[in-house]
Amino acid sequence: MNKLQTVMAFALVTSIALVGASIAPSVETSIQSVMPNLMFASAFTGTPTHTIEMTAETLPNGQEAYKLVSHEIQGDEDVPDYSEIATIPGPTLIVNEGDTVEVILTNNISGKSVGFNAPGLSNSNAKVATGDSKTYKFTASDAGTFHYQNKNNASLGLFGAIIVNPTGSIGKYVQEGSGAITSADLEDLNREYVLFMVGSTFWGQELNSGEQIPLWTNPTLASTINELVRFHIIAIGDDHTFHMHAHRWVESSTNDNIIDTKLLNDGSRHSFIVESGADVGEGIWQYHCHVFPHMQSGMHGHVHVVNGPHESYPGANPYNVIFNPDIEEEPGIVTFEITDEPGSWFKSARADALAPLTVTKSLEVIRPGDYVNFVMSQTDTVHSVTSLMWPTGADHMPFDQTQSYKGGGIVELTDPGLYVFTCKVHPYMFAGVIVDDPTTQIELDGGVIVDNPLLPPLLGNIVDSDGGLLLDFGETFSLVNGYQIPTGSDLALRLAKTFFVATATENWRDYTNPTWNPSYPDLPVKASVYLGDLAGGGLNNSDNFAPVAVKSLDALQEFYFDEASVTNTLFDPSVDGVGEVWVNAQFEKTQLKTKPGTATAVDPTTWLVTKKVALPGYNMNNPHNMWTDKDQTVIYQTEWFSNKLTTFDRITGAPISQIKVGESPAHVLTRPNNDDIIVSLNGEEGVAEVLATTSPSEVNRIIATQGFGQDPTKPHAHWISSDGQTMITPNAFTHDATLYGFDTDMINSKPPTGIIPIATAMTPDDEFGTVANLLSSSISVVDLDDGTHIRDINLLGDYNPAVLVGINDSGGLLSGLGVDLGVLATTDVAALPIQTPISPDGNYMVTANTLTSNIIITDVSDPDPNNWSIAANLPCDPGCHGAQFGAKSGGGYYAYVSSKFANDLIVIDMDSLTIAGRILLNPDVGTVSDDTIVSLHGMGGQGVMPIPNVYNGWVQNLPNSWKAQLTDSQKNPLSP
Amino acid sequence: MPEKTKFLIAGICAVSLFGFLTLFTMDSQNQTLSFNNILEFAEASEQNSHVIELSAEPLPNGQLAYKMVSHVVNPDGDNTDLTSNYSSQPSIPGPIIVVDEGDEIEISLTNNIPENSSFASNIVSLHVHGVHYEITSDGTLMSVNGVSDQGAAPGETRTFHWIAGPGTAGSWPYHDHTLIDTNGAEHKGLFGMILVNPASEEVEVIKEKNPQKPSKTIDIKHIKKEFVLYLGDDAFWGMEIDNTSGEQNPLWVNPTLNAKQNDYVRFHLIALGADTHEFQMTEYEWLYPGTSDKINKVDIGPLENHQFTVKTKKGTAEYFDNNESNNLMGMKGTIVGSPKGGSSIPGVSPI
Repeated sequence: MNKLQTVMAFALVTSIALVGASIAPSVETSIQSVMPNLMFASAFTGTPTHTIEMTAETLPNGQEAYKLVSHEIQGDEDVPDYSEIATIPGPTLIVNEGDTVEVILTNNISGKSVGFNAPGLSNSNAKVATGDSKTYKFTASDAGTFHYQNKNNASLGLFGAIIVNPTGSIGKYVQEGSGAITSADLEDLNREYVLFMVGSTFWGQELNSGEQIPLWTNPTLASTINELVRFHIIAIGDDHTFHMHAHRWVESSTNDNIIDTKLLNDGSRHSFIVESGADVGEGIWQYHCHVFPHMQSGMHGHVHVVNGPHESYPGANPYNVIFNPDIEEEPGIVTFEITDEPGSWFKSARADALAPLTVTKSLEVIRPGDYVNFVMSQTDTVHSVTSLMWPTGADHMPFDQTQSYKGGGIVELTDPGLYVFTCKVHPYMFAGVIVDDPTTQIELDGGVIVDNPLLPPLLGNIVDSDGGLLLDFGETFSLVNGYQIPTGSDLALRLAKTFFVATATENWRDYTNPTWNPSYPDLPVKASVYLGDLAGGGLNNSDNFAPVAVKSLDALQEFYFDEASVTNTLFDPSVDGVGEVWVNAQFEKTQLKTKPGTATAVDPTTWLVTKKVALPGYNMNNPHNMWTDKDQTVIYQTEWFSNKLTTFDRITGAPISQIKVGESPAHVLTRPNNDDIIVSLNGEEGVAEVLATTSPSEVNRIIATQGFGQDPTKPHAHWISSDGQTMITPNAFTHDATLYGFDTDMINSKPPTGIIPIATAMTPDDEFGTVANLLSSSISVVDLDDGTHIRDINLLGDYNPAVLVGINDSGGLLSGLGVDLGVLATTDVAALPIQTPISPDGNYMVTANTLTSNIIITDVSDPDPNNWSIAANLPCDPGCHGAQFGAKSGGGYYAYVSSKFANDLIVIDMDSLTIAGRILLNPDVGTVSDDTIVSLHGMGGQGVMPIPNVYNGWVQNLPNSWKAQLTDSQKNPLSP
Repeated sequence: MPEKTKFLIAGICAVSLFGFLTLFTMDSQNQTLSFNNILEFAEASEQNSHVIELSAEPLPNGQLAYKMVSHVVNPDGDNTDLTSNYSSQPSIPGPIIVVDEGDEIEISLTNNIPENSSFASNIVSLHVHGVHYEITSDGTLMSVNGVSDQGAAPGETRTFHWIAGPGTAGSWPYHDHTLIDTNGAEHKGLFGMILVNPASEEVEVIKEKNPQKPSKTIDIKHIKKEFVLYLGDDAFWGMEIDNTSGEQNPLWVNPTLNAKQNDYVRFHLIALGADTHEFQMTEYEWLYPGTSDKINKVDIGPLENHQFTVKTKKGTAEYFDNNESNNLMGMKGTIVGSPKGGSSIPGVSPI
């Protein structure tokens, strides 16, 4: 059996083993099981009407579900014909008004406690530990539809419906023909459907003739025309609006309000009765959530109304994801939870089982025709679910939404190859899905692919001689920025490296180790090398490709990038900086918080870490970017995976205030003329304005960065002119920049930029604005007066990502091929730029580039941007991200550069354009902190804020005590 | 259906015996028909037939909008041309189609939006809520309805058939469901409304002076203006109908609503986009539809609709979205009740 089959079998066995495990109950649970009755609002005495035994189980794809074991009804009535497996939604409990119910729940999920919480019925929050059981009791005193769930942790599937039926009329419907509002009894119903709305996915179940039929995700619901069908719609987590085409019903809390769309918040339930096809006839009628980004992320199914008997058609199913080519039934589904957790922003529900082989918790493997499901269950803010990379021509690609939202996503992947998903708000969040066709095989003999004798053996024997399965990435993949790339190419290897480094924290570069040794999955992989346009048709002609296979992706990446040969060297600059340098170590995990991140202060005279501000009282969530007031007394801090602007005392680190500003606040600046605080809202349609204060308490207004009704911009890293009147925002979702005038309160222009503009800067004379385009790897230069586009600086140089195999080691992998594979590049190459500040004196622009892990310094001193040119190319670290200028002692500037997946701060001397120092950001013996760093020490470098603020416009307003430490040039950077 | 026939005969007898209408609604809980519905059967021949042509147009700022081209009622009968009631320009929301419960509508859409190569689908459609239509008028792509791609390609026209049958009284959105991709381009501005006036010709309003009986009905002929307010993701988009003249006046963004004090005006709220809104009006209370509950605010999510009628108060009141971000973005407007009333004042327009 090949390695992949081994790991999948391992995952299956593990899941089953975990299900059967039994652990001694905790003390807390023991106390609770002794005194259950005191916990419940509607407890009863005596024999219950219903005695129900249920379990909570782990499903093969890592999701969780309730399962019915037994159901006894007093008076010996018939119990429903329940499913024999755990289902999502769980078994529907159908009782009569006034019944008493006792549920005994046994938890078969290892490693977590779960409960049975039924809002509106039993208010119990009690949970039961693995292997233990607990009894929950409630009285169904009110008729209606309710639900039970694992409170606060239901998104993976632990939920089900409770239907309490009154005697007599159970509701009203709109009758065909007359349109009369007509009452119905239970016996009048032909069938019922339960639909849970979770993330961007419907999970369904049919109740038909006493049988409970699991329909899984986005099912097709059958109905015979003119049947009476009752729907029970329940929302878990986010707001949804349920809509069905061509049908209308009576809103249940009213006498006669007829509706066809209904809002549900978290925990809302809505049931209604329709006469199927009434007045409209047969058809495939869509039902969906009408929240627009939910529509765009897959939240729909069909009601199939026919003239005759008909069966529902279930959707993708969590049982069918064991990698077994023999299972041919309904498609399977894998689920990623979206989290705020460093590295695991997309976490597969069965990541713990897969990680030993995949290295990362963000990679899944499925068969063609399976589904991928996303749910934003462990995150405090909004996201998009956007396809970054997919096999060229794959169905249902690209997958994207026009705005960020709370919800999820669901998509069917039919074509084999590698898919990578990201979030356009936080674009280093990654999920990878390999769709592997288990039926394709490659015959191999001694490690050479038989149909191309030109290729030498690659790294020894590829696979066992019985010709086992390989992960086949196909010929080309398509990127969201429009590129089409051979799967065997330099860029492909770089993107794979970025994925496996970003999503596996053990792969981050730790400068306390002597070298950096990231590891990749030890899996065999087949890709294709582009040999050139030999047969015409370029990248679209298979004859132009040669297959290559490697036994181990890990071995290939280590060979190709050879990181281990680079030593991790730390050293202090010989010249002091002025003041204090703040860096957001956004991924540091601390003891008292559930969310990561600190604001870290470095003393640029000792180059020691003096302070780490974690703000456990605020559970500060992913602090991303900082600024300061004109007196340099406080730090304004954005919490990018939340919706907060947080302020603390710069000297003491003491918290001052935390206010809600809007979703995903990214960057913060003050207006130099009046100290008003401007926060970009990466999850909204503008920037928040807080009037000047060192103790923010409320938002004054949100300034829109697009016109009414235009596509939402979702700006990231804005900048403000030295006179405080002009703001430029990079609009991540609309691929343009907004130039806004504070004086006129108007958007002056909105010039188009490259793809995913992410950060901006301005020349200190307020003439030009620069915009870093993350996925175009370019910098757009615009005239700040009218938005005229001047030029795009192409950071890729002559790098040829589309047609390249740049393996140019001596005696290397493809030498001797006899074919000219092209040259990687002759110029400087940088890719995926992020922060790009311009020095206060207007001489240089420093750009941090996160794909190529390097820093590009551009000479911008010429008044004509067409003459700007690259002056230096310096090495950075994985996830190279933030940059900002601070004063050097005695004159000149340092550029301080941070990297997300490393724990060092790079100091660049702007006089020599060289790296003057590399400082460790880990806590030191002398570091003062309000919390304890427990893991990912010093990691996650993003926002940088050197104090004092020496940018033109701001430096002139410094208190004298700060000015005294600066040279005349530093105090007036534009003076000759 | 024997029950219906029985009541139909009884109804016809009742009409001929009494000679004019007395509204008598039985308790709908007991599975009986209300009298006004019986009347509909008797008056089936009074059903109006509307023949409407709309077009879908691009706006200079990148938005898209519907425009009225022609609206004729009963072309084989009275042949009333209502086209001059509407703006001659595209509007957001698009034209408000006003019909009576029982009417039929044949509505055609011409696509004047240039083809866009970045769109997966370049056909534009009309998908309607609430009223009756067959699967061939779903206004969706074949991948959704299983039958056909139901929209108009650039330069072409497609016709849809709707019936505002019994039980469809209300304020229902119509919007595109095929342009760009299978979700449609409603978010670009392609939305409007069809107002189906009830066969009873009555709506409920708050009865101010008697707390025992919180509501009363009024004839819709007393409603002087209709205010349609769509709640988008950052602004209100409005349209007013002056019921005296029949004229529709596009109000665009966050308009100032003007009405004559003490006149009855009817609000039609529809949300569209991503946000859940909390609509509030200062000074005013109204009835939650289908209940006798008095409210002064309501939660409304995308494509929900909410219709209510109030008596205009003297002075200025504010309507706004209490959704935090939208409120901070200035999503609000005013309603002014004055002795003379007059046309409402449009807000910012992309035209």
